[in-house]
Amino acid sequence: MLTKDRLRLVGRRLVQIAPVILLATFVVFGLQQLVPGDIAATLAGESATDARIAEIRKLYGLDRPFLVQYGSWLWGALHGDLGKSLLSGEVVLDSILRRFPTSLLIVGCALTLSLSIGIPLGILAAVRPGSRIDATVTSVASLGVALPNFWLAMLLVATFALNWNFFPATGAKPLSAGIGPALLHAALPAIALAAGGIAEVARQLRSSLVEVLSSQYVRTLHAKGLSPAAILWKHGLKNVSVNLLTVIGLIFNRLLGATVVIEAVFAIPGIGSMVVHAAIHKDFPVIQGVVLALVLIVISLNLLIDVLYTVLDPRVSQK
Amino acid sequence: MIKFHRRDFLASAAGLALAGSALAQGTPKKGGVLKVSANANPSSLDPQTGGSGSDHSFLYPIFDTLIDFEPATLKALPGLAESWTNPDPTTLVLKIRAGVTFHDGTACDAAAVKFNLDRARLDPRSNIKGDLVTVEGVEATGPLEVTIKLKQPDSALLLILSDRAGMMSSPKAMQELGKDYDRKPVGAGAMKFVSWNDNEKVTYARHDKYWKPGQPYLDGLEMNVIPEINTALRAVVAGQNDFVYFLSPQQKPLIDRAKTLAAVTGPTLYCPILFLNFSKAPLDDVRVRRALNHAIDREAFAKATMAGLSEVATTVLPKAHWAYDPKLENFYKHDPDKAKALLAEAGHKDGLELHLIGYTDQRQQQRQEVIQEQLRKVGIKLRFSTFNIPEGSAAFFSKAEGHGLLSQWTGRPDPSLTFTLLYGKGSYFNSGRQEASPEVTAALAASRASADIEDRKKAFSVLQRLVLEQALSVPLLFQFELDAHHTKVKGFTSNLLGKPRFDGVWIDG
Repeated sequence: MLTKDRLRLVGRRLVQIAPVILLATFVVFGLQQLVPGDIAATLAGESATDARIAEIRKLYGLDRPFLVQYGSWLWGALHGDLGKSLLSGEVVLDSILRRFPTSLLIVGCALTLSLSIGIPLGILAAVRPGSRIDATVTSVASLGVALPNFWLAMLLVATFALNWNFFPATGAKPLSAGIGPALLHAALPAIALAAGGIAEVARQLRSSLVEVLSSQYVRTLHAKGLSPAAILWKHGLKNVSVNLLTVIGLIFNRLLGATVVIEAVFAIPGIGSMVVHAAIHKDFPVIQGVVLALVLIVISLNLLIDVLYTVLDPRVSQK
Repeated sequence: MIKFHRRDFLASAAGLALAGSALAQGTPKKGGVLKVSANANPSSLDPQTGGSGSDHSFLYPIFDTLIDFEPATLKALPGLAESWTNPDPTTLVLKIRAGVTFHDGTACDAAAVKFNLDRARLDPRSNIKGDLVTVEGVEATGPLEVTIKLKQPDSALLLILSDRAGMMSSPKAMQELGKDYDRKPVGAGAMKFVSWNDNEKVTYARHDKYWKPGQPYLDGLEMNVIPEINTALRAVVAGQNDFVYFLSPQQKPLIDRAKTLAAVTGPTLYCPILFLNFSKAPLDDVRVRRALNHAIDREAFAKATMAGLSEVATTVLPKAHWAYDPKLENFYKHDPDKAKALLAEAGHKDGLELHLIGYTDQRQQQRQEVIQEQLRKVGIKLRFSTFNIPEGSAAFFSKAEGHGLLSQWTGRPDPSLTFTLLYGKGSYFNSGRQEASPEVTAALAASRASADIEDRKKAFSVLQRLVLEQALSVPLLFQFELDAHHTKVKGFTSNLLGKPRFDGVWIDG
């Protein structure tokens, strides 16, 4: 499995991680300086004078030069200390470790749903392009992409939580509280998130599969007398799997971003609500911590996908 | 020397009956955990270092205050201080209740009170130094007696001690924990702090040695932070939480439709208001400020923005408040012709343009549109610059940008504080920092001079009339509190501060 080529690929990617993290956290830190607003005004309370705000700025070290502040954050982060929230004093690492699993569970469920429904739909549509099934799948997929997920989320809550009481309307349970309750809480948000994902997978899969199935070598395969099923499973899907992997990577990143809205609708204490609150008030240790964690997750996923490319398509590692 | 007048006692009994209906809700039952949808993460659970008005509902369960207040009128009542006297106008002596202990078992005595008040006045991280500026010194003059010396007479201090400054923390905990005390509060209130997960929830457990006999009725309390108000209400409709507060009037039909829910409404001090920089041209001309007040149709504004759940404002005190003067009602009637005449008299016959600061959220945008339309009719064109709340406030109050700010006054426990903060010379909320008039300055001082409530009522009548004549701001309305709870929740009383308190609440069945 782990050939020399793949190890080299992993090694190359790992070397790239450090500069990417450095760049991402630096840019985000810099952007916070450009955005108007002042956390010292929030910390100083409702009717603080300018003098009091200046005093607070000094007390929290916010009057130091930009690079010094970034440097001291980086130094702490290198030593595993992500600092504390300026607003509430909570240890950033604690919040991240508590909240990321909640968001990842929802994103994971949504991704699973997207693939397990999107792939069959895509295949169904691609096998007979132009048929009634194809038309239905294509229009449903367009609808899925166009539907705002927060709106869908509200419909789902009104129907399945408030009317029929099948699912809880808000909140989340960690996996440690039992797989049943955790999945029950994650179900509606995951479905709302997955709508777009299902549509995306179905559409992408359909178009690349149609392309493959209409190519010359597939015609040759037909001529050789291979059964349509064998052509589809052995040759068609194998060829579109690389495309599919790319789509999975993109969808995962998008779902992670979309949790910001979904978490607000369901009052889920995940990463989205954390970063929104921090960003509004410019609570930079929290923002930086979340960015760092997100960068790590996205890089690891991309690495995994890169390795899988080489498994599916040997040409990739030869390049 | 303060005495409780019999009249006051009767009035407060009536007020309690009006506000409460708590007595009519049956016999309190013990047990159960109350789950609440709360609107924002606390800024800190140390009452002295926090800074957000929404913290109070999180703090009240943990911290009892030296002075309590009557929910319906905000008159001072005994709290951890069971009585108080003013031997002279610059001395306040508090007698502390015997046998009260903090959650860590240490005594809440005179020494602890002195420690708390000194920390509030002097600690660099304290955000409430301003509340106690008139305090010269605090001494424990007996095991249960605290003497507060003042620089000048200040009858507002009593009710200040019903706010953050009066919330007593364990000195031992504060000393041992330092900055970490923000997240590990130890008070003498009905509930002990258990845990706080940022933007998720704060949990509490009952304090078995609470000084009020039989209380608290609840075994615990859970404040679940849900900033999105529709989600917050949904959590209660679905039965996941029992109580939700700070709802918007547009949600009232949803509450009425849900059979298991009951709505609670009541007036609050929360007052949407157009702050004016009365030192800046053209608003330095009183005729222009009066024209603004006549140009606004407050009834229409209330209807459009509050769906009827409000009371039209004349000054910054609502009708239920003890210092409200009914003679001032309708001081500025809606009269566009008079407004135009006043503008013409001030030399703005062809109208004028004003630059206002506003906030970006949806509710505030709606208010801006209504005001813009109403003032357009008398020839005043408004240009709005919008910001988030802390930045918009800083732009207007600190940097004196714009002519006015469409915002809200969230009220203060004592009306002297409200008027001094809004209209006092050099005050933060007086954007131009200049004196409104020598008469206003004198009336502000007079409102703090006496401890007798009847004297103070008279002083406030004078002060409010002056402020109205000068048209120093444009108060619009008082927002009603709108809360919803499951019908099994009993004993809740709304209060004029508009910050829900869960003492006396129990769960039935």
